[in-house]
Amino acid sequence: MASLLDPFGLLRDLAAGTEQIGRALIGQERVRLAVTGLTRAGKTVFLTSLVANLLAAGRGSRTLPALEQAAGGRLRAVRLVPAGVESVPRFDVHAHLEALARDPPAWPDRTEDLSTLELTLELDRQGMFGSLLGTRTVTLELLDYPGEWLLDLPMLDQDYAAWSRETLARLRAPERLPATREFLAFADALPEDAPAEEALARRGHALYREALRGCRDRLGFRFLQPGRVLNPGPRGEAPLLWFFPLPRPGGTGLAGLLARRHAAYVAEQRERFFEPFFRRFHRQAVLVDVLGALHAGEAAFADTAEALGAIAASLRQGTGLLERLLGLGTTRTAFVATKADHVPARQREALTALLGHLVQAPQASAAVAGAVTAVHALAAIRCTEEDVVSLEGRPVGAVRGVLLKEGRSAKVYPGEVPMRPPEPGFWQHAFFEMPAFQPPRLDPAGGSGVPHLGLDALLAWLIGDLL
Amino acid sequence: MILEEEAERDRPAPRLDFGWEQAVAPVAPAPKPRRWSGLGRLAAGAGVLILGLSALESFNFVAAQFERGAALGLLTLGVVVAGFGLILSAGWAELRGLLALRSVDRARAAFARGDLEAARAEAVRWAGGVEEAASLQPALREARSVEELRALLLAGPLRTLEARAATLGRNAAVQSFAVTAISPSPALDALIFAWRGVRLLRQVAALHGVRPGIAATLALMRRTLFDAATVAATDIAVDAAARALLTNPLMQKFAGEAAAGAVAARRMLRLSRAAAEACRPVPPG
Repeated sequence: MASLLDPFGLLRDLAAGTEQIGRALIGQERVRLAVTGLTRAGKTVFLTSLVANLLAAGRGSRTLPALEQAAGGRLRAVRLVPAGVESVPRFDVHAHLEALARDPPAWPDRTEDLSTLELTLELDRQGMFGSLLGTRTVTLELLDYPGEWLLDLPMLDQDYAAWSRETLARLRAPERLPATREFLAFADALPEDAPAEEALARRGHALYREALRGCRDRLGFRFLQPGRVLNPGPRGEAPLLWFFPLPRPGGTGLAGLLARRHAAYVAEQRERFFEPFFRRFHRQAVLVDVLGALHAGEAAFADTAEALGAIAASLRQGTGLLERLLGLGTTRTAFVATKADHVPARQREALTALLGHLVQAPQASAAVAGAVTAVHALAAIRCTEEDVVSLEGRPVGAVRGVLLKEGRSAKVYPGEVPMRPPEPGFWQHAFFEMPAFQPPRLDPAGGSGVPHLGLDALLAWLIGDLL
Repeated sequence: MILEEEAERDRPAPRLDFGWEQAVAPVAPAPKPRRWSGLGRLAAGAGVLILGLSALESFNFVAAQFERGAALGLLTLGVVVAGFGLILSAGWAELRGLLALRSVDRARAAFARGDLEAARAEAVRWAGGVEEAASLQPALREARSVEELRALLLAGPLRTLEARAATLGRNAAVQSFAVTAISPSPALDALIFAWRGVRLLRQVAALHGVRPGIAATLALMRRTLFDAATVAATDIAVDAAARALLTNPLMQKFAGEAAAGAVAARRMLRLSRAAAEACRPVPPG
């Protein structure tokens, strides 16, 4: 409905739609691939592997066989689009590759800021007269960003009172109490007509921030808002972040101040993050660390599912009405279980099936918006190989890799991954926490791409029809 | 459950190696068996017969002349050597023209693959044969990446060459416009246009260090023809629009002729750009 009430939005949609159709006609399509994922889902590693492997495929290496097959052998070259005068930082794929190849290796740090990159895929045309028209190009626009910020999307359509009510309900869940107790005691003690004292606002914000950090780092929860409180980005903390949910949000003093900051924060995130980058995209890959969620326990597992559902609903609302009518919006959405190399091959099907159950709500949202959906399991950088260990006298499938911290080779049996949301009994035995592995030996220049599992099948499904 | 490997416990293990580089290394497509077509065999046979028999005949004739007298023999030998020498040198020039086109292809393939060594070698070799690029050779040898090589070539000599090719194209365009306006018959128009086009093609190729013979000119024409053909449809549309807009018979006649001339001129400009594109050692884009 938002598009109906916003004539300028409708005009922008119209212009974008016309440009998209025009570009398709002259064979110079631009495709924005939104890689969405909660924090630590592996977005940066995924983008690094995607770019390195596509560039290598453009040089003739067979790094992405399924994509090559989808392209019918017509992929001639892949190039990074040279930097222009963009104000957004550039995704530094070479720095990430060098860090991964270094000795000792380092996985990318938590992403602190937005960064973008564009790749041009040059393809031969199809058909008898295709060669007369020369090659055509498909430009892929990619974006990396802090996963925490994604959870600000559901806030865009909420006022302060509604947000406070929902957030406090989540914080009061028994599983979160170990981290949130102190903040809840402070917030509950505030009277409705508390004055707009800066000291109170700062104290409340500090306690709220600690509660969110505890939920994220100690308890493995993901649905934590606002995202910039957890990850303020390169500009650091600003006064508009100093708000927190109140049990009685209707007052005019402190509640009024917090409501104004909440509104300013939402407006800024809408203007700086959502509108320029998530308002319009054509393909989407939703990365989910299923094993991490499984490890964090029943409540965190349900929390991940809830967070994914809320994000998918927000993104669906963001798609322009016109785009939906003309079928120019997001046409394909893939849900992807990352770090699939942490379980032996036999269990990857279970991992995919489990993800399928976890994302039922987002899948339904995407289908309503007219997108086709699929569920995949992949390892953007493969760090293990198959092995067998003996468990209580019988051989079971395991993986072998080099532990990141200790630098020693180890066989790891990750336990059985359930194919559907686990029964209550499953949570009695804590799921084994997977260790971090070292990446395999890599070429720092990434000349031949990087070893992966299933990235080619995902790309073939996501963009194969455009090639 | 983590089971550390006993043997590895005391020393750091090497990183896993999947042999990825070897596994994904590009495989050259199997060379297609080259088969001579019937027409090719016919032409080759005729060539062998003409050249071989005339060589044998000449040899016999020179031998016979020597029997008549040494001076006469020497004179005949001189004539035969000069004749065959000219034919061989023409063949050699043709071959060199074709080889130059092949080396352009090799350079473009090396740039497209991102193969720095091959691209650098081809770029340096190409720069050696083009006056405008000769001074760039040391910088090309020092280039650290394919992108740097590409930027050096595009910013320096290729820009100059592009401007010169455009000048050649403009000259040819003015000439063909003038000729189309004054020539008495459309058939003559077409002939002059074709001759001027071929000349332009050879001029642009020579500018890029490719001195094409007949075979290389034909190969170049085949390449540029596809590109130039795509503008033909636009030309027809422009012509039709110009004629349809003016209903006065006199104006129509005048506008029609002018439009035809403009179309011919525009084709020349387009041809010069397409020829320059086909001769560049760097792939487009």
